[in-house]
Amino acid sequence: MVTAPVLGVRLTVSEYDRSIRAASRLRAGSYSRRRFLGAAGALVGGALLGGCGAEEAGKAPRSDADVLRELLRHELTAGAAVIGVAGSELIARQDALHARRLAGRAGTDLSGRPATAVHLPAALIRKQDAVFAYVEALPRLADPALRVLVMQLAASEAEHLAALRLEAGDEPVPDAFAGFTEGPPP
Amino acid sequence: MSGIAAQVAERFSAARTDSGMLTAALFVEETAALAYAAAAEGPLAGDERDLALRFAGHEREHARVFETILFALTVPVREHAAEPDLRVLVPGLRRAGREEALARLAELEGAAIAGHQMLGRRLRALDALRSVATVMAGGAQHLVVLRRALGDEPVTRTLESGC
Repeated sequence: MVTAPVLGVRLTVSEYDRSIRAASRLRAGSYSRRRFLGAAGALVGGALLGGCGAEEAGKAPRSDADVLRELLRHELTAGAAVIGVAGSELIARQDALHARRLAGRAGTDLSGRPATAVHLPAALIRKQDAVFAYVEALPRLADPALRVLVMQLAASEAEHLAALRLEAGDEPVPDAFAGFTEGPPP
Repeated sequence: MSGIAAQVAERFSAARTDSGMLTAALFVEETAALAYAAAAEGPLAGDERDLALRFAGHEREHARVFETILFALTVPVREHAAEPDLRVLVPGLRRAGREEALARLAELEGAAIAGHQMLGRRLRALDALRSVATVMAGGAQHLVVLRRALGDEPVTRTLESGC
């Protein structure tokens, strides 16, 4: 299962009063990341009104290189070859390039990190987790160029999710926010 | 750069503040919703029509995200994209053939992604970037479907910049 640390609220709230209530829940730490960022502005509102949220509280700022090394760990996991899915070789090659780019910017050696091939369900979970990680990391990066790089990687991983689902005959885009939404709000 | 990409880039580039950039993003998502709806009413049929209608709904959800962020920043949203805006940004969409319509939609999705990444570079309210990125990632998934429908290969990019 994709881990679900406390972070956000869901995205599809349309009325402002609902978004304000969601912001309150965000500050109270009652939403999971799977529900995420919601009412988008509610996250912003939560951040503006209540600081950076429970997850960030009490933690020392980390360097960009630290953040990239953490993302590299997710990328290497997500970059495992997918067993029995046409087109997955290209995705694996793109993942290898992601890892090289991250390692280069983080000043980390990539040697000795083989990825074990996985079946599609596990691959989708790992890819989704990578998208979560990239998106979550964005405000923690000080260098604007690195934020752009991470957005490009996030977009690529989201594309991999859709492409793998297409190859498997599944619905490629099951939600509007690349996995950051789920069912109706509580 | 296509006409669509140039117009969208100009809209983002011209914005000097967070609220200006987010307003540009709102406009593009609203226009994308109109574009998918127009494609569903005209050039697309069958499963592709259904898909366009669903993606139009996604774009409306994306637009609500930016509207809500602007609300959180206490910026009133006074204007919304409408049919004339669609005619300027994606002229002739309703009369286009299937392939041209899909290509124009892909151009618009790519332009939006490039704009979102401009926000990644310039936005000062960094916490809002997470929300921007979720919209961008949703757009990237739309792109995969559009590229597949157009027969473009590969359908994914190593670094998706929207360009």
